[in-house]
Amino acid sequence: MVLDLWFFFRVLVFPGFTFLFFFTMFCDWIERKIEARMQNRMGPTFTGPAGILQPFADVVKLLTKEDIVPSGAKKTVFRLAPILSFSIIIFALSFLPIDGTAVIPNSSFSGDLIFVMTLITIANFFLFLSGWASANPYGDIGAARVLTQFLGYDIPLILLALAPAFLAGSLTISAIASSQYLPFIVLAPWAFVLFVITLQAELEKDPFDIPHAESEVVGGLETEFCGGKLAFLRLTRDTQIVFGAALVVELFLGGPYGPVFFGLPAFWYFLWFVLKLLGVVVITEYVTCLFARLRIDQVLTANWKVLLPLSVLSLTLTIAVATWVYP
Amino acid sequence: MSQKEIDILSVLQAEFKDTSVQVQPEQLGKVAVIADASTHRDVFKALLEADEKTAVIAITGIDLGATIGVFYHIRTSKAGIITIKVEVPREKPRIKTISDLMPGAAFDEMEVTDLVGVVFEGHPSPGRLVLPDNWPDGVFPLRKDTKLDNLQFKQTPPSEPESAGNENIVKIIVGPQHPALLEPEKFALKVEGEIVKAVEPRIGYVHRGIEKAAESRTYLQDVYLVERICGICNACHATCFVEAVEKILKTEVPPRAKYIRTVLLELNRLHSHMLTLGHAGLEIGFETLFQYFWRDREPIMDITEIISGNRVISSGMTVGGVRRDISEADIPKIKGMLTGLRKKLPFYKKVYEDEPSIKMRMKNVGTLKREDALKLCIVGPTARGSGVDIDVRKDEPYEAYGEIPFKLITYNEGDTWARMNVRMYEVEESINIIEYALDNLPTGPFRVRVPRVVPAGETVNRVEAPRGELFYYLKSNGTAYPERVKVRTPTFANIPAFLATAIGSNIADVPPNFVSLDPCFSCTDR
Repeated sequence: MVLDLWFFFRVLVFPGFTFLFFFTMFCDWIERKIEARMQNRMGPTFTGPAGILQPFADVVKLLTKEDIVPSGAKKTVFRLAPILSFSIIIFALSFLPIDGTAVIPNSSFSGDLIFVMTLITIANFFLFLSGWASANPYGDIGAARVLTQFLGYDIPLILLALAPAFLAGSLTISAIASSQYLPFIVLAPWAFVLFVITLQAELEKDPFDIPHAESEVVGGLETEFCGGKLAFLRLTRDTQIVFGAALVVELFLGGPYGPVFFGLPAFWYFLWFVLKLLGVVVITEYVTCLFARLRIDQVLTANWKVLLPLSVLSLTLTIAVATWVYP
Repeated sequence: MSQKEIDILSVLQAEFKDTSVQVQPEQLGKVAVIADASTHRDVFKALLEADEKTAVIAITGIDLGATIGVFYHIRTSKAGIITIKVEVPREKPRIKTISDLMPGAAFDEMEVTDLVGVVFEGHPSPGRLVLPDNWPDGVFPLRKDTKLDNLQFKQTPPSEPESAGNENIVKIIVGPQHPALLEPEKFALKVEGEIVKAVEPRIGYVHRGIEKAAESRTYLQDVYLVERICGICNACHATCFVEAVEKILKTEVPPRAKYIRTVLLELNRLHSHMLTLGHAGLEIGFETLFQYFWRDREPIMDITEIISGNRVISSGMTVGGVRRDISEADIPKIKGMLTGLRKKLPFYKKVYEDEPSIKMRMKNVGTLKREDALKLCIVGPTARGSGVDIDVRKDEPYEAYGEIPFKLITYNEGDTWARMNVRMYEVEESINIIEYALDNLPTGPFRVRVPRVVPAGETVNRVEAPRGELFYYLKSNGTAYPERVKVRTPTFANIPAFLATAIGSNIADVPPNFVSLDPCFSCTDR
């Protein structure tokens, strides 16, 4: 019985759903502040100290708004897709060791890296479905762009994620994280750089935020959404960013592990994890501010002609390094 | 008159010596040619042969009482403005189109059809342009006998089905409300996949009838009315109007007023160019660039405030001069602010010329060749980006531009990148012009008294607004109210450039291509 309570606490409160939810809000606030400061703006200031509650207020506001389903939409898919994509990403996050062990106790199994990557693919597919179901030309084009871009970048992302797996000799995320006495960013910096670039495309951030290009397709796949469904679509995007950053932390930055000074190791692991994750968020936001949005054909050319060969090359190099240099 | 100008006059006089066509020098621009509905095409053809840069600036439709006048205002590089005057009977106003000879005239002809009811035979796309679709047939707002109360509006015709015929073609409506447009106009893009197959424009959403309203106000009131045609190029509209009135009054403006006007005009240009350069960043998803440009636009508005008391609409012009002097104490302050802006320019130039993602999104996007630019009568930075060296400030200097040295910026690429870089370099030229004008500000009065009643007469005038050549036709009838004010704004002339270059491009290329024309729909619709 005691074990069961602990299980529910971990899944629902900390480091599970409640924590992840509020941490996502916090990351969103950090992103907005950084972007604003880089662009000579203030960013959120009104809600809470320095506007820290603004993302939360946005979600609450959207949840209270009228929820309209367009008459031409495919209603079941339209209603379910945002919630499903959000829950799948939260589920995928639960497999990552946040304070030393995964959110769901003892859920780690051999090959869960592949499993988590698959979940993310499915979540993106639900995003595509949500745009496609909304029966709106902007939504259609946005959805088609999500799919086109996603098909292109999923392959390099998985290939690059295999690099740490080879270095660690395991496909288990917790094993990869715990085997990094020297973080893999030092051992395979090329894979890290490529992984962050690919992730930028995967998360649809500038210069790859083509599905959301508001000057071309208004809201993209979000165009017809409002109220709670829009809140969930926004949450999905924010959670995706947290997930992507968490994946970088686990695979390249040594996961939650770091020096333990005193007291509980879980506390220090958690602290290191959060700090590393925020570092990755800052990097992605920095890239976002520096570039203009590319065009879909340019992105695809870059993907198939440059990134895919490079990621194959990076994998080969990593295998060679793992075999001969640091066996 | 220079040698070049006599040229075109003698060409016309020789060509039409024994016909009914009359050639009158020094009327309505350099030459007024009085033709009729059977000969106007011959005159236009003769002008086209004489000069490759011949372009239609505007077509004025005017109610002359017994007849309807159709005045073709034509620009040639050799002789300034030439006006072909044609009169058609009021009962059966029909005339042959010239849009087959000069595709850029198509929009002007549609507007004349809407406003005074002249039918252009053989027009490629007859239809409503500025009036709404449900406007009653046979009511022409700019005819003097038209009563606009008790209008019986028609049923709005049903819109055509979304995908007529081909299922692969999706119709994407850009506007009247759309994030890419700051003002309401509609462009229906027919796309197949990501490629634009056709563009259907529909303007007139912000048509306020300013040309009509100007007829019921005095000349002085009209200055403030025409200023409000466009918020950003307000000084240009006001200058163009007051210069036209001064031409009829034969008033000479004191030199100090000319220099102050020049400063206000160039502030307009700075403001407009900085705004567009930033807005282009927003359209290609480069928000940082947008925020930076709009931050550095602020001092320009502050300078306008120092000079005129207002941040945007300066209301500085009046018939006979300017309304406020620049005080000597303010000049160092203004120059300090301009120097601050100038220091930032090398960085921005580097960004626009070399930043890789900007080059990827703007190079070879919306390329407009020089021949097409000439044929479509394109003006301003858009034309200069295609290698057409037209600029009213150089071609026909007004105010103090004849005395101030500055460079004419042209690029030959003709793409979005070239158009934006023309603006980038013109920002620097504008700062130079303002500094020169402030350094060499003549002393003396800044306005002269003028009578309120303007003698009968007619004139044309043009200035170089930030977006291109702005044209006014003004007819007075000897009272305190003008008889006809015709405004042709640069965006109206430039929209054909977008329509021509958007077809076949990617959807993602449409916003940067469009914003590189610096479209202003308040101007377009008036």
